[in-house]
Amino acid sequence: MLRILHDTSYDFIKFWKQSVIGTIAFIVLGLILLGVHAARHNGEALNRSVEFTGGTVVQLHFAKPADGNVVRGAVDAAGFNGAEVTTFGAPTDYMIKAPPKEGAVAAANADSVGAHIIDVLKQRAPDNPATVQQAQSVGPRVGQELTTKAITAVLISFIVTLIYLAIRFEWRFGVAAVIATAHDILTTLAFLAMMRLEISLTVVAALLTVIGYSLNDTIIIFDRVRENLKKQRKESLREVLNRSINETLPRSVLTHATVLAATIALLIFAGEVIRPFSWIMAFGVFTGTFSSIYVAGPLLLWIEHKWPRSLDTQNKGQAKARSEERKRDRTPVGAP
Amino acid sequence: MPLKWRVTLIVALCALSLWALFPRDVTIRSRNAQGILQNETVRRVPLKKGLDLSGGMYLALEVDDSKQKIAPSAKGEAIDRALKTVRTRLEGYGTSETVVEKQGNDRIVVSIPGISDEERARKLVEDQAFLEFKITDKTGALERALPKLDQVVKQHGLVTKTSGDTSNATLSPATKGLQGLLTAGDTSKKSDSSKKVAAAAAKDSTSADSLKLQAGGGFSSLLQAGQMPGEFYVDNSQTSTLERLLEDSSVAAALPPGKQLLPSTDSVSLQGKTYRAFYVVDSKPIMTGDHLKSAQPNSNTMDGTVVEFELDNVGGRTFRTQTGNHVGDYMAIILDGRVMGRPPVIQSAIGTRGQITMGGKSLADAQDLALVLRAGALPVPLRVAQSQKIGPTLGDDSIQKGQTASIIAVTLVIVIMLVYYRFSGMLAVGGLLLYILYTLAALASFDAAITMPGIAGFVLSIGIAVDANVLIFERIREELVHGKTVRTAIDEGFRHAMPAIIDSNVSTILTAAVLYQYGTGAVKGFAVTLIAGIFASLITSIFVVRTFYLLWLNRSRGAQTLSI
Repeated sequence: MLRILHDTSYDFIKFWKQSVIGTIAFIVLGLILLGVHAARHNGEALNRSVEFTGGTVVQLHFAKPADGNVVRGAVDAAGFNGAEVTTFGAPTDYMIKAPPKEGAVAAANADSVGAHIIDVLKQRAPDNPATVQQAQSVGPRVGQELTTKAITAVLISFIVTLIYLAIRFEWRFGVAAVIATAHDILTTLAFLAMMRLEISLTVVAALLTVIGYSLNDTIIIFDRVRENLKKQRKESLREVLNRSINETLPRSVLTHATVLAATIALLIFAGEVIRPFSWIMAFGVFTGTFSSIYVAGPLLLWIEHKWPRSLDTQNKGQAKARSEERKRDRTPVGAP
Repeated sequence: MPLKWRVTLIVALCALSLWALFPRDVTIRSRNAQGILQNETVRRVPLKKGLDLSGGMYLALEVDDSKQKIAPSAKGEAIDRALKTVRTRLEGYGTSETVVEKQGNDRIVVSIPGISDEERARKLVEDQAFLEFKITDKTGALERALPKLDQVVKQHGLVTKTSGDTSNATLSPATKGLQGLLTAGDTSKKSDSSKKVAAAAAKDSTSADSLKLQAGGGFSSLLQAGQMPGEFYVDNSQTSTLERLLEDSSVAAALPPGKQLLPSTDSVSLQGKTYRAFYVVDSKPIMTGDHLKSAQPNSNTMDGTVVEFELDNVGGRTFRTQTGNHVGDYMAIILDGRVMGRPPVIQSAIGTRGQITMGGKSLADAQDLALVLRAGALPVPLRVAQSQKIGPTLGDDSIQKGQTASIIAVTLVIVIMLVYYRFSGMLAVGGLLLYILYTLAALASFDAAITMPGIAGFVLSIGIAVDANVLIFERIREELVHGKTVRTAIDEGFRHAMPAIIDSNVSTILTAAVLYQYGTGAVKGFAVTLIAGIFASLITSIFVVRTFYLLWLNRSRGAQTLSI
C-alpha cells in the first residue's frame, strides 16, 4: 500500500505564533493593496463587477487581434468616456466597462451601447469586424441590492453553520471553526486585492464554496478531536489536537490533491469566463487547509483555556481524566 | 440490508438515472428568421442549458415610480398582477423555454433563451399598453392658450434651461423654413382621410402663425400648425424639448382645461426635414382598452400594417354610443400616452370592431402590439433594472471549455485514486462514475439549468466527492494496521468515518442552501449543482462503494489482504 505522511507526529501547534504572524502579514498586505487600489481607481478598492456597481459591460470579439488604442478611442468617441477597456483572455476579445450614467434610475440599454460602439469601430477599423459576445447593464439600485444580498448570504451561512456546529459539537468548536472561516474570507479578499480579480456574483459563490470547503476541513479535524477526547487518554488538548491533525494528515493530503487537480483543470481549460472563480478556489484549497490547522486549532486551545469546559457539559469519563490531569499538572491546559 | 437488495437498489437507481437522461423528443417553440412562431421537435438529452450557455436575454423588471409615486406596500401586489401580464405577453412572443418569475417582493425576472433582440423584448415588457380613445380638439383651445403658455415658460426660464441640453442652435431657421413650406406641403404629403378638413386646418394654421409671430415665445415657437384641427408639427430635434416642457407642472396647469397635448408615433417629412405630429385631445377618454376582447395583426393596401381589435359586448355598447355622439370628430387612439397614427374621422357610430394603424411599422411590430393588447395593460409601469444579453457563440465556447475541463479533472482524480488506493481506488472510481451519472440525472429531473458556474461547481464537486471515500479508506487502513481482519476493518472503517462525512457534508449543504436562497441566475445554478452533487456523493461513497466491498468479500471469502 502506497502511503503518504503515514503515522506522523509533527508538532503542528508549535508553529502557531509564526503562522499567526504570517497570516496577519498577508492580510495586512492585502489591506494596504486595497488602499492603493482605492487611491488609484477613485475610491473603488475592490474591482467589483457591474452587478454590484451598476453600469454597463460589453464584451466584444474581433475577427483579428485588435489594437487597444483603437478600441479605447472608439469607446470614447461613442460617448462612454469613463469606461474601462481591457482585453479579456485574448487580444481578440475586449471587455468594456462603463460606469452608470449620472442620475439614472433604470439600467441602460446594454444592447444599444454595444451596437453603438460597434458602429464607431466599423468606421475606424473596417477590416476587423467586431461582434458583441455579451452585454450586461445593471441599474444602480440593483447593484446596491446585490451587494447587500451577497453580504447577507455570507453572514447567514456563518450563523447557520455556527448553530449546526454548536449542536453537533459544542460551542467552542463552533466558534473556533467560524473564526477560522472568517479568516479565510479575509485572506481571500487579500488575495483578490493582490490579483485584482473582478468580484462578480460568481466570485461570491466561489467565496462561499471556499467557506464550505474550509469548514469541511476543520470539521474533519475537529471530529477526530472529539473522538480522541472520548478515548480518555491522559493527554492535554494540545496533544490531542496535534495527534488528530497528524491522524487526518493522509486524508488531508489526498483530498486536497484531488480538489486541487480539479481546480487546476478549471483554471487552465475552462476559459476566461470562469477564471476568477477558479483562482479563488485554488487559493481556497490552501487557505482552507492552513486555517483548519493553524487558526481553528490554536483558537480552540485558547477558548478552552479561557473558558474551560465544566464537568456537567461533557462526557463523564473524559471529564474525570481531564480534571485529574489538571490537578496533576497544576498548569493551565492547552495554553498555546 | 441484504446484499441482493443493495445491488437491486443500485441497479434501479442507475436505470432511473439513465431513463432521466435518455434523449427524448422536446418540442421547442421559437421564432424563425422571419419572426414567425414555429414548433420544432428535437431529440436531445433533457438537460436544460442556462442562459449563459444557451445565449439569450435576461431582464429584471421593477416598478417604475419615476413619474408617479407608488406606495411600497402597493408595489408587491402590483408586481403580482404585472407578473401575469408579462407572462402572457412573453408566452405569445418567446420560445417555450422563457421563464418569467417573481424575485423577492418587487421584481420580475425574465429569461428568454435564444432571443437577443433586447430592444424588442424591452418594449414588450416595458410598454404599459394602456389603450385609450380620445376626441381631438376642434375649438382651437391650445391656440388661445399659447400666450399664457409662453408666459409661463418665460417666467420659469424653462426654455433656456431645456434648449441648452438639446444642443440645437438652428431653432429660428427651422421655424422660418416651415412657414413657407406649410402651404406647399399639402401636396407632397400622402393622401389622408383628413383632406375634407383641409380648409379648416389652413384657417387654424394661419391663426397659429400670427400668434407665434406676435409672441415668439418659448412654447409657441416649437409648434407649427398641422393640417387638421388640433394637430401640430414639431421639428424632430425639438420633440424632446417639448415633451420635457409638457412634463413640467406649471406648463401642464397652463394648458386649456380638460385638454392634453400628446405626441404621435408618426413623423411627417417635409422637404428633407422630419417633424413629429402632436395632437390636442380631450383629457377624458371616451373608451379605454379594458373591454378589449381580441387583437390581431393584419396588413392591407389602404392603411399598411394594422392591428384589428374587437371589443366585448359591454365595451361595444359604450363605444357605439360614444362614437355616435362624436360623428364628424377625429378620434385619437392612444397607447401609453402616444397617439397611434393619424386620428381618423368618425364617419358613423362604431361597434365592437376597430383597427389601429401602425404607420410605416413592420408586421412584427403589429404582432407585438396585438400581443401586448391581448395580454392587457400593466397595472403599473415597469422599467428594466438589469439586463443581460449573451451571444450564442460565447455559450458554445463555454460548453466546450467546460467539457474539456471536466474530462481532464475526472481523469486526474481517477489517476490519483488508482495510484494511491489500487483495488479500493478502483471501487471508488466505480462509485465516482455512478456519482456523475446520478448528479446529471438529478439535475435533469429537477429541470435545473446548467450554467457555467454550475459546470465549475460540478468539476469541483468531483474533486470533493472522493473526499468521503478517502476518509473511509484511511479509516480502513488504520483498522488494518491495528490488526483487524479485512471484513471487520471495512465495517469499522465505514462506521468510524461516518460522523465526519455527515457533519462536513451537512455544513456544505447548509452553505449551498443559503446560496440558493440568495443567489440569482447563474449562482442559483451553481447552488443546485452543489446540492445535487453532495447527495449523489453521499449515496455513492457510503452506499455504493460499501456494496462493492461486500460483493468483493462475498466472491473472495476469507480474503486476508485488501489492496487499499
